[in-house]
Amino acid sequence: MQPLRIALAQLAPRLGVLDDNLAVHREALAAARAGGAGLVVFPELGLTGYQLQDLAAEVAMRADDPRLIGLAADAAGMSAIVSFVEEAADHRLFISAALLEDGAVSFIHRKLFLPTYGLFDERRFFAAGDRLRTVESRLGVRLGIAVCEDFWHLAVPETLALDGAQILINVSSSPGRDLAAIHEVGLGTAASWRNLMRTYAQLTTSFVVFCNRVGMDETISFWGGSEVIGPSGEALFTAPMFEEGLHFVDIQVGDVRRERIGLPLLRDERPELHLRELRRILAERTEMAIDQASEAPDRRPGEDRAPDGEKDGR
Amino acid sequence: MSAGEGSGGAPSTAGAGPMFDLPPELAIDAGVARRVMVGFIRNQLRQAGFNRGLLGLSGGIDSALVAFLTAEAVGPESLLCVLMPYRTSSPESVDHARLVVDQLGCASDMVDISQIVDGYFGREGDVGAGGADAFAANPLRRGNFMARARMCVLYDRSVQWGGLVVGTGNKTESLIGYSTLFGDSACAFNPIGDLYKSQVRQVAAAMGVPEEIIRKAPSADLWPGQTDEAEAGFSYPELDRLLFWMIDKRRTDEELLAMGFPEAMIARVKRLVAVSEFKRQVPPVAKLGPRTTGVDYLYPRRRPGSAR
Repeated sequence: MQPLRIALAQLAPRLGVLDDNLAVHREALAAARAGGAGLVVFPELGLTGYQLQDLAAEVAMRADDPRLIGLAADAAGMSAIVSFVEEAADHRLFISAALLEDGAVSFIHRKLFLPTYGLFDERRFFAAGDRLRTVESRLGVRLGIAVCEDFWHLAVPETLALDGAQILINVSSSPGRDLAAIHEVGLGTAASWRNLMRTYAQLTTSFVVFCNRVGMDETISFWGGSEVIGPSGEALFTAPMFEEGLHFVDIQVGDVRRERIGLPLLRDERPELHLRELRRILAERTEMAIDQASEAPDRRPGEDRAPDGEKDGR
Repeated sequence: MSAGEGSGGAPSTAGAGPMFDLPPELAIDAGVARRVMVGFIRNQLRQAGFNRGLLGLSGGIDSALVAFLTAEAVGPESLLCVLMPYRTSSPESVDHARLVVDQLGCASDMVDISQIVDGYFGREGDVGAGGADAFAANPLRRGNFMARARMCVLYDRSVQWGGLVVGTGNKTESLIGYSTLFGDSACAFNPIGDLYKSQVRQVAAAMGVPEEIIRKAPSADLWPGQTDEAEAGFSYPELDRLLFWMIDKRRTDEELLAMGFPEAMIARVKRLVAVSEFKRQVPPVAKLGPRTTGVDYLYPRRRPGSAR
C-alpha cells in the first residue's frame, strides 16, 4: 500500500500580517506538492499569528472568505489543514482549523478549550467552539482535528477516536516556558507535550500528528518540535525545536489496523458506561435530575451551588 | 550538555574551584535559553524596523552577557557598547568592560558622566545646578542620578547609532527592586529579565564571558567598595533559591520555612518584592474614556505598521 506523505509546515507566522502569512502558506503548499505530500498541516493561527489581542477582529475571516478559498485552490490535489481567526455570521470570533480539499473548505474545527490562565488570555478575545466531529478526508482516512489546548483535555482525543478517527491532528501555537535542566529537552512545555502525544497515540491506537509553530510573538517564543507518532505510541518523526522548516513524514495508514487488531483497546472502550457515569456526575454537580442536568447549560465546578441562604435572596 | 551547563556550579578553566554556586533547581539548559534570548533580540529589533542595538556596558556580568547575546543576534558590527564611568567608579569595571569589547570585536564608546553628575550635585568649591544642598546628597540620591544620567546618554547615543537600547537587568534585581526606575531599568526590551542571577552566571559561562567577570562580586559600583550581596545581606544563590520557590513555584511561607529558609529572610524578601511592584509595571492611567491603554485597548507592541 502506498504510504501517506504528510508535510508538517513548522512556520513562524508574522503577527497580524495576513497577506505575508498567506504568501508563506502558498509557498509551503507548492513545496509540499513538489515533495509529493498528500496531507499538509499548518500550525494554529498560522495565517494570523497568535498573540493578537484586539487585532483578532481585524484579521478575522469568514469561512467563505475569498482568501481562504484561494488557498484551497492552491491546495487542490492535496488535503491541507490551515488555521485562522474565523468570524461567524453572528460575529463571534473563533480560533479555527479548516480542512481544505478539492478547492473548498470542506470542514472546520473551532477550538473548544480556550486557555485563560497563566500567560494565556484567549477567552477574553475568542468564543469557544461547541462541536467535536471527525471528518472523512479525500485521502480515504478519517481525521480528528483539534487545536492546541483541546489536547489538554482527555475527552477530546478519546471522543475523536471513538468517532472513527485514524489520525488525530493537533495544530498548536505552544509557547515555550519552564526552562529547566531537569527536563529531557530543556523545556518543560515540550516534555509535557511529548508525553501527551505518545500517550494519546497509544491509548487510541491512532496516528497523532502535531504541528507546532516557531518564531516569537512579543515576549513569547514558540518551540516547534512538530511530531508524528505511530499508533503504538512510537515517535516516527520529531522536528527540530525553534527552527522553521517543511518536514515530510511517510506513514502507513494500515498500521492502525494492525495495531488495533493486536491491541484492541478501542474495541474494549465502554462509551455507554462512560456516558452513564458522566450523566450521574453532571446531575450530582448541578443537583438536578439526570435528564435535566444533561441538558442544562455548562456549569463550572464551584459555581454550581449558591452559598446557603442566598438562594431566595436573589 | 556542554561544560558549564550542569548543576552544582560550573567548572573552572583555571582549576580554582567552581566559578559560582548554582543551586540545582535553578539549573537551566543554557543552550535553549541562549537560543530563545538571541531570537528574542533579533525579533524585537526587526519588528521595530532596526537592526542595531546598544547597551551600557558596566564591566559586570549582566551587561557582559547581554553584549554577547546581542552580538550573536545581530553581529558584533551592529552592537555598540557604551562605557559610562563616573570619576569614582572602580578602574577594574572599565578594564572588564574593555575585555568584553575586545573579545566581541564590537563598537564601543566611552562617556565619562562625571561632568553631568558633578554639574548637578556640585564639586568641592563649586555649587552645582542642584543647589548648595545637593552637594550633601546621600549615596542613594547620587546613585540614582548616575543611573539616570547613563540612561540619558544611552538614549542620546541610540539616535546617533540608529539602534535600540537593550536592557541588562536580571530577574533577581527586578524582583527585589534593586534597580533605579527610569535609570538602569530603562530599555526598549530586555532579553535577560526572566533569568535569576545564578542563571545569568550559568549562561554567561556557557557563552564564554571572561571568567574574571563571572567570578567577581556583583556590584552596582555606585560608590567605592559597594557590593550587591553586602548591601542585601544575603548571597545571590540563597536569594535566587528563595525567590524561585516563593514566586515561580508558589510556595507558602510555612512551606518555605519547612524548606529551611530563615523566617527573617522570608519576611524581608517578601517585603522587598511587594514594595518594588511599582518598578516592574508601567505607570497606571486613570480610566476615563471608552478605551484606555493597558486596560481595554490591548494591542501587541509590534504589529503591522509599528516598524519605524
